[in-house]
Amino acid sequence: MKQLAYNIFRKIKRYLHLYRVFLSQNLKEDMIYRSNFITLAVMDIGFVSVSVILFKIIFTHVTSIAGWTFHQSIILIGSVGIIREMAYLTFRRGFLELGNHIRKGTFDTFMVRPIAPNIHLAFRHISISESFGEAITGVVLVIYGILHLNNWTWVSIPLYIIFLLNSLFVYYGFSLLINSIVFWVIKTQELNTIVYFFMETSRYPGDIYRGVGKFIFTFIIPIGIIATVPASVLTGRTSWSSALIALFVGISFLTTGILVWRKSIEHYSSASG
Amino acid sequence: MSTSIQVKNLSKTYEYFKKEAGLTGSLKSLFWREKLYNEALKGISFKIDEGELIGFLGPNGAGKTTTLKILSGILYPTSGEAVVLGYVPWKRSPEYQRQFSIVMGQKNQLWWDLPAQESFQLNKEIYEIDTKTYRNNLDELIELFEIKDILDIPVRKLSMGQRMKCELSAALLHSPRVLFLDEPTIGLDIISQEKIRHYISEYNKIKKTTVLLTSHYMRDVERLCGRVIVINNGIIVYDGSVQDLMNTYGKHKIIRLRLSKEYTENGLAKYGEILERDGLCVVLKTGKEDIAASTARILNELPVEDLSVEEIEIEEVIKKIFTG
Repeated sequence: MKQLAYNIFRKIKRYLHLYRVFLSQNLKEDMIYRSNFITLAVMDIGFVSVSVILFKIIFTHVTSIAGWTFHQSIILIGSVGIIREMAYLTFRRGFLELGNHIRKGTFDTFMVRPIAPNIHLAFRHISISESFGEAITGVVLVIYGILHLNNWTWVSIPLYIIFLLNSLFVYYGFSLLINSIVFWVIKTQELNTIVYFFMETSRYPGDIYRGVGKFIFTFIIPIGIIATVPASVLTGRTSWSSALIALFVGISFLTTGILVWRKSIEHYSSASG
Repeated sequence: MSTSIQVKNLSKTYEYFKKEAGLTGSLKSLFWREKLYNEALKGISFKIDEGELIGFLGPNGAGKTTTLKILSGILYPTSGEAVVLGYVPWKRSPEYQRQFSIVMGQKNQLWWDLPAQESFQLNKEIYEIDTKTYRNNLDELIELFEIKDILDIPVRKLSMGQRMKCELSAALLHSPRVLFLDEPTIGLDIISQEKIRHYISEYNKIKKTTVLLTSHYMRDVERLCGRVIVINNGIIVYDGSVQDLMNTYGKHKIIRLRLSKEYTENGLAKYGEILERDGLCVVLKTGKEDIAASTARILNELPVEDLSVEEIEIEEVIKKIFTG
């Protein structure tokens, strides 16, 4: 038991160290295409503003959507941006590049190094710029939302962060499951469109789903959890049961994602050079 | 000497789907696809001792690369066994991965936009090489490969030959006990090819690293290896010394001629065996020893417009192994 704990600790330490090293490599690479950075940031801010305006328009007609007030919804939108950037800082761009790696056979490199292929793929393509604007607006929106809440405590901040991480696990597990298909069909463009809409749809509060829909969007396509649960935790809307369900979904998506992915890469048929 | 690589009855069958041409074909394949099989390896067996430098020779699509990919854990075999350094490659255990390297002539493993030095540094972290060993190995490789001046140039700006030298250095930083090289000289000019061969043989001599090298150039293997395995259509057709192979099958050269006027077949036959004759273009085969003499005679006596001397192609050699 002690040995196991030590091994896990050592592994985490090693991956954190590798993350730092890879991050600096990626930054050096990004510097070469600096102008990209500003364009992307401006575009992101534009996109987020559109969602905010959309919600503003809706809220001029109603006072709440599925129990969510305007300021709570603002926190929800902001959380999506923060989770997106967290994903780009870890795994998201790796999956976008996966199709290319498979088609060109460069995925070979990830198979022969002493790092798990999914982690190597993720670290190889860490991107700060991709969702940076959205993250900044996200943080601003969340802070703005908090300042307008009346039932808010400091304890909810660490809880919020824990549930953001949990949502990242859900997102990662979901991406692993979807992208595992690539080892059979080679083309992934469509696959990542699915993942994109998955995140787009998570902007809407999970409470809008009822009955079968609620079950599906909690356990099978967990868009009802991704942004809704962290935002609920922060705004004090959540119940213990829904928080526990979210943690359960997070852990199960992450573990099944990793298991399915591991099985799938056995099917990798490297493009011959 | 201990065994480094042991392969028994290794087979690999690729599955793929038939696709008909055109849009109708694509639409049809959405609903119904015919599954096709390609047997890349049909039960090959061989054994390689530690420190050996072995050539894996064969035409394109013979199964050389597939074998290397299975031995490095990139591909799962369909059936059969393989053990490298005591590990089953496709289990991809990190302990095994720290002890071998694979370099593929046509696949770039370095960071394209950054100088090679950056990729080296990253490999130091990936393979957890301690700083002192890293420094020593790097210095050694810089000297051997003569890459001191190109370390700070972005990889995309390097020539093919320079890039291959950096690829090799990156792969050798962690002092692998087994090195797989897939067509390391492909696409290089003659001088760079010769240099890469020189580095590989030097490294093998100094470090006693087991090297398994694939190529479809006879010259690579002739120059480098003591032993050669020839593979064709997924079957090993020859496994033995390069010397014997060369003595039996490689003692000829090919002369390609373009003449300015027609010449009789009898007249040509005295310069060598006629392999092909198409109007003014003639392909002759002649002994390796008297290649200089025959060329001189041809140039003197025939109305030559163009002449080139070539090695016998590997396909020819294999054909001969079969026909005896």
